[in-house]
Amino acid sequence: MEDDPKKKTDVPVSRRGFLKLAAGAGIAGGASSLSGCLVNEQKVGDSGWLPQQYRVPGNWPVQVRGRIPIDPANPAITRDDAKCVLCGQCQEVCEKIQTVHGHYELPVKDDFICIHCGQCSLWCPTAAITETFSIAKVDAALADPGKIVIVQTAPATRVALGEEFGMPVGSWVQGQQISALRKLGFARVFDTNFSADLTIVEEATELVARITGKGGKHPLPQLTSCCPGWVKFVEYFYPDLIPNLSTAKSPQQMMGALIKTYYAKTGNIDPEKIFSVSVMPCTGKKFEIDRPEYHAAARYWNRPHLRDMDAVLTTRELASMIKRANLNFPELPEGSYDPLLGASSGAGLIFGNSGGVMEAAVRSAYFYLTGNKAPPEAFEFKKVRGLEGVKEASLSIPGVGPLHVAVIHGLKNARVVMDKVRAGNSRYHFIEVMSCPGGCVSGGGQPRSSTPPGDEMRRMRTAAIYQRDAGQNLRESYKNPEIKQLYANFLGEPCGELAHKLLHTDYVSRADRLQPKKPQKT
Amino acid sequence: MTKSVLLDLTQCIGCGACTVACKLWNQLEFADGAPATGEKAVKDHSNWTTVTFRKVQKDGAPVWRFVKEQCLHCLEPACVSVCFAKALQISKEGAVVYRPDLCVGCRYCMLGCPFSVPKYEWQRSLPNVSKCQMCAGKIAQGEVPACVGACPTGAMTFGERDDNLALARQRIEQGNGRYINHIYGEKEAGGTRWLYLSDVDFSKLGMVTNVPEVPIASFTDDYLRWTVPLLAGGALLFTALRHYTKRRNDIESSQASQKESKKK
Repeated sequence: MEDDPKKKTDVPVSRRGFLKLAAGAGIAGGASSLSGCLVNEQKVGDSGWLPQQYRVPGNWPVQVRGRIPIDPANPAITRDDAKCVLCGQCQEVCEKIQTVHGHYELPVKDDFICIHCGQCSLWCPTAAITETFSIAKVDAALADPGKIVIVQTAPATRVALGEEFGMPVGSWVQGQQISALRKLGFARVFDTNFSADLTIVEEATELVARITGKGGKHPLPQLTSCCPGWVKFVEYFYPDLIPNLSTAKSPQQMMGALIKTYYAKTGNIDPEKIFSVSVMPCTGKKFEIDRPEYHAAARYWNRPHLRDMDAVLTTRELASMIKRANLNFPELPEGSYDPLLGASSGAGLIFGNSGGVMEAAVRSAYFYLTGNKAPPEAFEFKKVRGLEGVKEASLSIPGVGPLHVAVIHGLKNARVVMDKVRAGNSRYHFIEVMSCPGGCVSGGGQPRSSTPPGDEMRRMRTAAIYQRDAGQNLRESYKNPEIKQLYANFLGEPCGELAHKLLHTDYVSRADRLQPKKPQKT
Repeated sequence: MTKSVLLDLTQCIGCGACTVACKLWNQLEFADGAPATGEKAVKDHSNWTTVTFRKVQKDGAPVWRFVKEQCLHCLEPACVSVCFAKALQISKEGAVVYRPDLCVGCRYCMLGCPFSVPKYEWQRSLPNVSKCQMCAGKIAQGEVPACVGACPTGAMTFGERDDNLALARQRIEQGNGRYINHIYGEKEAGGTRWLYLSDVDFSKLGMVTNVPEVPIASFTDDYLRWTVPLLAGGALLFTALRHYTKRRNDIESSQASQKESKKK
């Protein structure tokens, strides 16, 4: 092979030949790329993904599409577009459970219709929707040596916060929560259960006045007013029923007003120095603190810039502060609330459950109407407990007759009853409404549960609260010693002049912000 | 076949789902400081569609309107006519689409567009022009554009342009004064594939209303169309003249040399 004469082992390449070849190839390549022959066709877009429900040909209806509108200035909820996957869950809960989104005519007027309940933030699978965070504001106050930072904790947070730290659903963590708050630097820890008792005293007194015909412009049925989402819902969709709303403020706002008046006075503290924080299972409370109707301390001291409440933390936000501080939450010692605004009855505690306000109110209203302790059934008022959407009960009150009550959670259920009230077909004297399904225990600011979200979780948290109430000696709001002390030393009498100034409010019709959709025939 | 979208601005609630759908489907960046929705929505290379929140007056009362904007996909797009590299083309379905492989980066399209739609990727070292493609790949599969499908109130209708125009006219007629009598995009810049209905004047909504009713390209078409004939004709003429003079000179010189030789 090696000697094959035909094989050219040494191909001569002349310099000229090589240059000709290279130049030729260059010219050919340049010419074909200029003419478009060598170009790789490229396009832009169409490179991402969309949820399966949107990948349908033609104009087939997409059942769950889009999302709810959120005002960039919404004080309660916020959305991060980068995390939104357009799953449509926010819309499902807002439209189907709360009947807000999609229940007004288009075009819109001048409002993003929102009741701030925050259920969308619980349903959102990617946490694109969250509460509008207040942690930075609270941090700044805690770091300010000129501020006395006072905190109050809502009834429902103490049966949910533990879940954030791996404890079973419905764990009772009242004591650990207090210790954690003290370790985080809060100067005083008060109990919203105390002001829930106060709400009951005021609201039951008001109910008694309405029942005995002294209600003035305020007719029956009396509607509860402690849920800010529900209140705004009435202002939007049932403005004609505003006179039915109890004028009593929510427990958070009563506590806020008292901290900057009663507590400031008693402790001889400048109200300007107080920074008042609440820990709530609720996002709506963040909206509530900015309502101008609620600036009682400002009017009391004649200092217009004072706010009754300065910041609201949700249960989730508190959990993240505790985790950030690296506190071993389950192992913390059990603290107790500070005196003066810290004692509470079982009636104040059960505010956290759907039906709780009703049961608590009945215990006190019975006493106010008859002078006697309420019958045992008012201490385990089974008909208003549980997770049925609309619960009804009647209690016969000697000398007055039957007291008809209804308890509602979820605003779709509220519409059914309110339409009856509006038509004059309701026999109820008193109706409790909570926006969130299950009441505050599954409020929009509560932790994602370790059990599947739904009634199982609600039942476990609810049971924990009822169990504590049952085990308590003090179970009626009017018997709370610190409440008695408050009236004796400061407020005078329930629904009296000062009580009215600090603890009651009025509401604004928001009917001009939307055109409600007429009920559709189904 | 020319696909089109009819957008009824009275149905927009400002949720911004369309902007998110656009970004998910086209893999566009969510940039800090460049929101696609709100009062300060930014139109840039990563926001192919924006929803601008506008507080306007209607019948003496304040109303909030949300204006979704994107490429209008003109019937005779100025961007396509100015692009000498053919990097902007009209797809079979009627979407005005961009071919980055053909683009030379001259940005004539950005100057040519009367609506200032095409944006440039200024932050990249080898930038492209960037604009809404009407989800050309998605509509080629028979689906609707991402933004249209994601709208919770059904404010957008995807279909043939003629059908959408008829639908728009029907809504105006049957709306009892609900809409202003103007279908934006019917005539603007010679007609666009996106059509808008509104109850408030479009100029109040910040939309470009000072555009002619003829295609932008038609302004220069009258004389620019003669460019090729003129050049080719000139070349032919001068070639012919050159041949003529050369031949004349040749004949002259050959005759002259014949005379010389006769004299000798």
